[in-house]
Amino acid sequence: MRITSMCLRNLLRRRVRTSLCVFGVALGIMFILAVGGTTMRYVTIIKEMNVFYTGDVVVVARGSIFIEAIPIGSSLQENTVVEVRQVEGVKTAVPMLFVVGSSAPGSIAQFVPSNITVGIPVGNWSVLVGHAPLMPGGRWPSANSSEKEVVIGVYLAQLHNLTVNSGIRLKNHNLRVVGILDTPSVLLARTIIMPLKVAQEIYGYGMSVGMVVVEPLEGVTEEELADRIEAEILGVTALTGDERNAIIEPILRDVEMWNLGIRGVLFSLSMVLVMTVAIMNVSERKKELATLDAIGASKSYIVRMVITETGLIGLFGGILGVMLGTVAALLVSSFYSSVPLSVMFPSIFAIVPPTMMLEILASTVAVSCVAGVIPAIIVARKSIVELLRSEH
Amino acid sequence: MIAKTTDLTRVYRLGASTILGVNKVNLEVEEATLVSIVGPSGSGKTTLLNLIGLCDHPTSGKVFFMEKDTSRLNDTERRNLRLQNIGFVFQTFNLLPTLTALENVELPMALAKKSQAAQREEAARLLKAVGLAKRLQHRPRELSVGEMQRVAIARALANHPSLILADEPTGELDSKTGFEVINLLSELRRKEKTTVIVATHDERVARVADKTYRILDGSITQE
Repeated sequence: MRITSMCLRNLLRRRVRTSLCVFGVALGIMFILAVGGTTMRYVTIIKEMNVFYTGDVVVVARGSIFIEAIPIGSSLQENTVVEVRQVEGVKTAVPMLFVVGSSAPGSIAQFVPSNITVGIPVGNWSVLVGHAPLMPGGRWPSANSSEKEVVIGVYLAQLHNLTVNSGIRLKNHNLRVVGILDTPSVLLARTIIMPLKVAQEIYGYGMSVGMVVVEPLEGVTEEELADRIEAEILGVTALTGDERNAIIEPILRDVEMWNLGIRGVLFSLSMVLVMTVAIMNVSERKKELATLDAIGASKSYIVRMVITETGLIGLFGGILGVMLGTVAALLVSSFYSSVPLSVMFPSIFAIVPPTMMLEILASTVAVSCVAGVIPAIIVARKSIVELLRSEH
Repeated sequence: MIAKTTDLTRVYRLGASTILGVNKVNLEVEEATLVSIVGPSGSGKTTLLNLIGLCDHPTSGKVFFMEKDTSRLNDTERRNLRLQNIGFVFQTFNLLPTLTALENVELPMALAKKSQAAQREEAARLLKAVGLAKRLQHRPRELSVGEMQRVAIARALANHPSLILADEPTGELDSKTGFEVINLLSELRRKEKTTVIVATHDERVARVADKTYRILDGSITQE
């Protein structure tokens, strides 16, 4: 008779208690996954944006907030670009306009916007997209086209069922999709990229831009260039890669710490719950355990039995919790990004990665096993005679 | 000589007071005999069996098991000795409720790491020997008290022990079933060549026993 089978039967003997305990653990795990999965997803997205403009200096209006790839706040006059190009050590300076929008009018504030319009001077697309390819049949907007042409991210294409040559309407302007950007980047996948002039016209930005991406000449460091730009041009802030990351990193660290805290509290609660149930189970089976001891079972066998029982509670609670938590994380993500569940569903493993599921499941089993240690030691330390005398 | 005690004493401390469970008991048990320890409730029978069965440590005196001084054994050695050489039959049967009759009997063999096939074969044989061939897959709650005690006896025989200790084996049974259990123990002692010590207040056991010790207030009063 295998110990696991014996433990399973012991747990099933007290179905209601076991079920409640498993459900309690599952609720904790569900919460960990729903909160952890959702927030960590956004942390990952924001971290992923660190790759934008690597090695470049980003110039924004003084007082603006710059969150990874996107400037938020005041805009710059387009002639600032000319001033920037005149600073010593500048190789190229590309202006960009960012407009953060939402595909669902009147929707609540979102962690990740449903769409972002980016205006870039024709031919400078790589400053934003790097080497990300277009899907077959697509091309980049042309400067001479009579139509307003755009490239959209793959996520937007899927969400709105758009293909190359589809027409879209934005702020009462008709636009033609000429390419679909094939990229795993969450930001780029939600982006509508168009020529800067078109973006300025559609959104009424006139001669304004959101930021300027500045590439230093060889031998010039980001720091040196940023200092020069700030010294020579009034009303701008020049951010190096480190400075850009420094803005968001404390927030991300806080999010991660809160996640760890929530996880710690919920795991502790699960451990207390499992331990309480294990102590009750053990107290009610003293005679059985004494019998095992009397007929020659080692103390380690009895300890293993108790720990296996709590481990099984953790396993079942963990599996149920991971299932519920994944669904909950999907619902939360769908709610906060106003993306329909049907569209969100294929991203299920991006929101709650399998490694996270396994990590949480393994942690739950481990915590439950630890919860069994104290009850196991309590019973193992009692003498057979003492246990045999007990009523249960 | 399968078991021998010399001046065996067990004192329990309950708060400030002390209780003399067993007082300077000297007894000798020969191989393949049925020995009864008869005495009223609270006379020290169970304490004596626990000491002989190596479930408890004496306050003073010694227990010799198969000529071996058990006071020199550590916990692991005592446990191994219990597993391989001593079978227990309890008044309340103490069967594991989640296991079938067959699995209950297999358990000591599983603990002794016998093969699954050997466990199954031997457990079935023993249950057949105690008249429960048709009850192998029944759980304790599906058995009568007499049948439960038979399963407990089969379990006690599982690893072919040299000694079976039965503590009030008829205590929970009606007189007819109790008589059957006594006869079964007596018969198995002959068939399996096992020594049986029965602690009881049932005088009928004394009648079938090869030797009877009478115990009162922890002391042997009569042999």
